[in-house]
Amino acid sequence: MTVGADAEASASNARPKSARVERDPFLLRTLPHEDVFFYCKKIDNSRLVREADPESRRACWSAIGAACLLLGLLTAALAPSAANTLAGYRIEALRAEAHRMADERRMLDLQQAELLSPERLEKLAQKQNLVTPSSAQVVRLDSHSDSAVAMVKK
Amino acid sequence: MADRRLTCVAGLVLVWGAAIFYNLIKLQIVHHQDYVLKARNRQEHVIEIPSPRGAILDRAGHLLAASLSTQSVTVDPLKLPDIKFNASLLAGQLHLDEAELYDRIQAAYKAHRGFLWVKRDITPREARELDALKLDWIHINTESQRHYPKGTLAAHVLGGVDFEEDGNAGIEKALNQELRGEAGKARLLTDAQHRKIDQQLSNEGRAGAVITLTIDERLQFVAEREIAAAVAEHGAVSGSVVVMNPYDGQILALASYPTYNPNEPPASVNDPGRANHATGVSFEPGSVFKVITLSAALETTSLTPESLINCHGGVLTLFNRTIHDSHGGNGIMPMRDVLAKSSNIGAIEIGLQVGREKMYDYVRRFGFGQKTGIPLPGEDRGRLRRLPIWGATSLASISMGQEVSVTTLQLAQAAAVVANGGLLVKPRIVLRSDGRPALPEPGVRVIQPETAIKMRQMMEGVVLVGTGKGAKLDGYTTGGKTGSAQIYDFAARHYTHTYNGSFMGFAPVTNPAVVVVVTLNGTHGTAGFGGAAAAPVFRAVATEALRILDVPKDLPDAQPETPALVAKADAMDDLAIADLGSSQPNILEDRDDEEPAAQAPAAAPVDAKGSVPNFRGMSLRAVLTVAAARGITVLADGSGTARLQNPPAGAVLHEGERIRVQFAR
Repeated sequence: MTVGADAEASASNARPKSARVERDPFLLRTLPHEDVFFYCKKIDNSRLVREADPESRRACWSAIGAACLLLGLLTAALAPSAANTLAGYRIEALRAEAHRMADERRMLDLQQAELLSPERLEKLAQKQNLVTPSSAQVVRLDSHSDSAVAMVKK
Repeated sequence: MADRRLTCVAGLVLVWGAAIFYNLIKLQIVHHQDYVLKARNRQEHVIEIPSPRGAILDRAGHLLAASLSTQSVTVDPLKLPDIKFNASLLAGQLHLDEAELYDRIQAAYKAHRGFLWVKRDITPREARELDALKLDWIHINTESQRHYPKGTLAAHVLGGVDFEEDGNAGIEKALNQELRGEAGKARLLTDAQHRKIDQQLSNEGRAGAVITLTIDERLQFVAEREIAAAVAEHGAVSGSVVVMNPYDGQILALASYPTYNPNEPPASVNDPGRANHATGVSFEPGSVFKVITLSAALETTSLTPESLINCHGGVLTLFNRTIHDSHGGNGIMPMRDVLAKSSNIGAIEIGLQVGREKMYDYVRRFGFGQKTGIPLPGEDRGRLRRLPIWGATSLASISMGQEVSVTTLQLAQAAAVVANGGLLVKPRIVLRSDGRPALPEPGVRVIQPETAIKMRQMMEGVVLVGTGKGAKLDGYTTGGKTGSAQIYDFAARHYTHTYNGSFMGFAPVTNPAVVVVVTLNGTHGTAGFGGAAAAPVFRAVATEALRILDVPKDLPDAQPETPALVAKADAMDDLAIADLGSSQPNILEDRDDEEPAAQAPAAAPVDAKGSVPNFRGMSLRAVLTVAAARGITVLADGSGTARLQNPPAGAVLHEGERIRVQFAR
């Protein structure tokens, strides 16, 4: 759409001068730019062909290449730091896990020690009617023998 | 016009750039350190890496003490918005008594205290639930807590720790620095959400050392069980047992009764159970001390075990002090009988021959009157008066175990001198510290090996036919000495009718593997004498010790008493016994195997002395019975019935030679 400036000028020239003097009192005054008209102008650029400009294309690709290179360098520079941070999270998580497992192992060791307490074992043995064999009941075999180490006589 | 506008824009840009530049300089140069500090405070934290207190193990690696990380809840009573409501909230979460917790918080609030322990050692679930409340006046602290999984076992050896995990008794106190270690420090980098990113150690710290004791927990348990039973049975006040390897001084068990649970705080400041009666409480030893007197006599005089000693019919008056033999009147008897019968007059006579200086010297040489050096706090050095202040009758008193006080551990150290051939070996309780073996100190010669052997034989006589018959072991030769000392009442200045009953002994006699000393304090009547009260404890503990240590027997299992011994036993009791001179030593002789062999199964052949019996056709059990009765070693292979044997039946068996028997079905 284009504005016709000539049309505006011709319209104002065509208006009689007496009209302003004898103006109809009931006539509303004109709105601003009331005399401007717009219309669509069809432009056909299909016949236009962009002229090849190797210089500017080269400059464009150079710029793109430089930008990519810069991006690559930036990524290469920042990647170790980022990887380091991520590895740090992982290491700290593993360290906490190792600490927790060490605690757990200590707790299990304690539980095992409680379960293997001689006092507890003796009580369990008494419930099973087991007694320590007397000295006379134990026959000691030679320690280098391939067979059993000791046996209990009836 | 356009130039003017451009100039204005350029001026504005310049001012803007200058402002940025100014701020950059301010940030990066002027206040650089301040902002670095602020950033570090926000992102970095210096944390303490706890080093858990070292564990304590027995000689076989069984856990006796260890520390665990636990969480505890504290509150700031001054910040509590509503004590009543919050006490109710906490009590519900931590399963506490609401009224009691309210009173505690209220008391702390009134005292303007900003810190109060609410509950220690909370469960992980309780910690999570409290954490989820996100209340700023609740603090969950991680701390270390000591645990003793075996309860009262070896309590006096282990000791205990206070709330700061500092040792306050026993090994925990003696080796506190080694066990405690040092906490490390690290700089921790966190993100905005306080998640850990990295940490850098600024101080590695040092983990607490793992201490391995010489104690054997099985033997320790037996010793504690037996001494507790003996104290209850004889109405004693306290008791103690020490089991020791006589060659390297390793303490295999050290029991004291009454005892306590180190997991629980002391009931009172003067809790009697906390006293270590084996090392920290000395007593008059009585007759066990005659071993020292006789050893000194064998070393310094011409007396021998057969030398005749005049016991003056059981009554002796020295410097207006009349001394009686508690075991009745004895006339003249060999020195070995003085020990077996535990004659006070005989011991005094022998002591008088030794003399004051030499007696004092030997008492010191045996380690009395000085600390043994065992790393347990509160060790008593005992009491041995300096020679210049000995009274007129001091030599006589000390000869029979009075006017001197000793600990059970000192008696074990002295008995080890006799058992190991004459060397004083310092008792040891630490086997390894953080994997490094604790090396024993070389022994110091106290008596000659010949003297030690003579003493062993005389002490065997005490067990065979003397006052220590209750200590006789099945399958092992045994030596020992009883002691029954009247307890002196310092207030009334006279001896009472309560006793320190003790027994010190070793087994086997020829090559002692263990020394066991038992003491019962505050027994009553003759049933509280050492032979009646302490000797059975020795027997029980030594039997277990020899079994656990897998010591080969040196006697047949069923040792029949010889008619001569039976006849003597009928005429003797612990207080008055017949002559020892004709008794046979309790050592397996060649002819001794005849009696046990007669008890073997009917198929068991009876061969001539020294010849190999014929085991063919016999079961494994029958072979073992015959072999044990004859004191020969059999190497059994296979199962079923004996088919082959080497050497063959009838061959002459040389000393130390073994018989290999092949069994098959």
